Amino acid sequence: MASAANREPVRIAPAQAAPEWSEEDISAPPGNSRLRRARNRFVVQTVVRLVFILAFYLALSAVLGQAFIPARSQAAELLLLFIVIPLLLGQRYEWSRARKGIAELGACGTMSKTELACVATRRAAMRDELIDSKPYIDVMHSQIGDSLAESEREVIQVIEQIGTLNAKTSTQREHIAQSIKSGRELTESTHLRVENNKQIIAAIDLQLDAQTDEFRNNFERIQGLSHEIGALTPLIKVITSIAQQTNLLALNAEIEAARAGSAGRGFAVVASEVRKLAVLSNQAASDISKKINATCKRVDEEMGSASESLEQHEASGAMNQLVADLGEMQLQFADNSQLLLDVITEVDANYEESVSRLTQALGHIQFQDVMRQRMEHVQESLVEMRDHLQHMSGKELDSEWCGDFDRNFTEMLEAHKIKYRMARQTVTHLAVAGGQASSTHERPSIELF
Amino acid sequence: MAMKVLVVDDSVTMVMSLKTTLTMNGFDVETANNGQVALDKLKSGTRPNLILTDINMPVMGGLELIGKVRATPGLKFTPIITLTTESDTTKRDEGKRAGATGWIVKPVSGDDLIKVIKKVLPGA
Repeated sequence: MASAANREPVRIAPAQAAPEWSEEDISAPPGNSRLRRARNRFVVQTVVRLVFILAFYLALSAVLGQAFIPARSQAAELLLLFIVIPLLLGQRYEWSRARKGIAELGACGTMSKTELACVATRRAAMRDELIDSKPYIDVMHSQIGDSLAESEREVIQVIEQIGTLNAKTSTQREHIAQSIKSGRELTESTHLRVENNKQIIAAIDLQLDAQTDEFRNNFERIQGLSHEIGALTPLIKVITSIAQQTNLLALNAEIEAARAGSAGRGFAVVASEVRKLAVLSNQAASDISKKINATCKRVDEEMGSASESLEQHEASGAMNQLVADLGEMQLQFADNSQLLLDVITEVDANYEESVSRLTQALGHIQFQDVMRQRMEHVQESLVEMRDHLQHMSGKELDSEWCGDFDRNFTEMLEAHKIKYRMARQTVTHLAVAGGQASSTHERPSIELF
Repeated sequence: MAMKVLVVDDSVTMVMSLKTTLTMNGFDVETANNGQVALDKLKSGTRPNLILTDINMPVMGGLELIGKVRATPGLKFTPIITLTTESDTTKRDEGKRAGATGWIVKPVSGDDLIKVIKKVLPGA
């Protein structure tokens, strides 16, 4: 096979020497060869016919009898004339036609040798071009094949990336789903705890208020008792004063008894006893005063403790505030949990949207398969064209070839119409080549039977 | 439990994209690159809830696969949807006669594909 790069440029005769030519000119074999064949065919045909006439005459003679031949009857002569003369005339007519044809071909051969040489050069150039169309078409075929393979590789990469992305997202989604479950449980639990704590806090608050009231009542009671005890102190002074006056009276009575002598001796005893009683009363008052003071001191101490307890109870209001703050914190935590739950739910919704979008994107990837099938059809067509052109290049040297093809481009193009799988292929074909569709694609793209 | 779909297509990109699409939407996916491989899997015990098959494939095409699946005990009523570039009416009628449940012409949007599958498999 000649290479287009290595082949010498084809030399074509000047345009003025090149007449118009047709496929018949190209298909006609060289003139000299055809002349020889026609002459040889005519000679053989003539000889065969003469032999046939002689054989017929001999057979007729045998039928009519041996004596008939020397007699040369009138009937035999007439029969011979009726058979032989038309044959000879027919042969003469054919010879004239053959001579005329041979003369025309000879004239053609002598008059168009330059043109025939030019046609032969063109035919050689066309044959070389037809032969060289094979690598050209093969390269284009391979280019399409490589492009398809490359696009397929790239699409596979995209699908793998989407698959990986989806796998990771799916894992995250599972975690998110778990988080949603946990978050929901936590939020519900927190709400429940907050509600429980509110009740507990309310109970504690009531209890604290009751305790505070009790403390206050106890304090006031002790304080009243202390006042009552303190109120005993003047009575002690009265008792002390009575004891001192009684002691003074007893002393005076003893003096008066001593002055009375023996008559007042009994009275002196009584006075002495009264004075002892006054001393004892004075001592008892002193003891009572000491004990009252000690009691007051202890009451003061208890009051101090009670005051501290009351302060503590008052301070327990801060604890209430602390519990209230804790409740507030719990509420905030619950709110934050709900917020987190909302965020997670939104993320989950976004995942659903992502799946939808990825599904759409993967749907578009089907176009690669559609394109592949259309390109494969073009590849098959290129192979068909290549084989047809190679077939043509081989026919050029075939002296018996009369210009017919098993299939020509028009027929091959028409045949494609029944090979199309897609409506779009048919539409493109008809838009360029015209004609009628050989199949219908009018049903919807999705059909459930 | 996830529904199982058997995807049959000679195009690597189609098989991968369909597998990813269906997996994303909660289906289990088995694949085969022609009708014969699919039939072998079915005979070895694979029982999909749905078969999604191309029509024009080497070795064994989709129409032949549908006919053989319908002749296989236990698979007579398994839904079979074709997903093909073939939009010719005559081929569709052949598919319908062979026992196909539905006919989808490529390219089809992913959402539409999932909708059709969920329509055919109500529990999916």
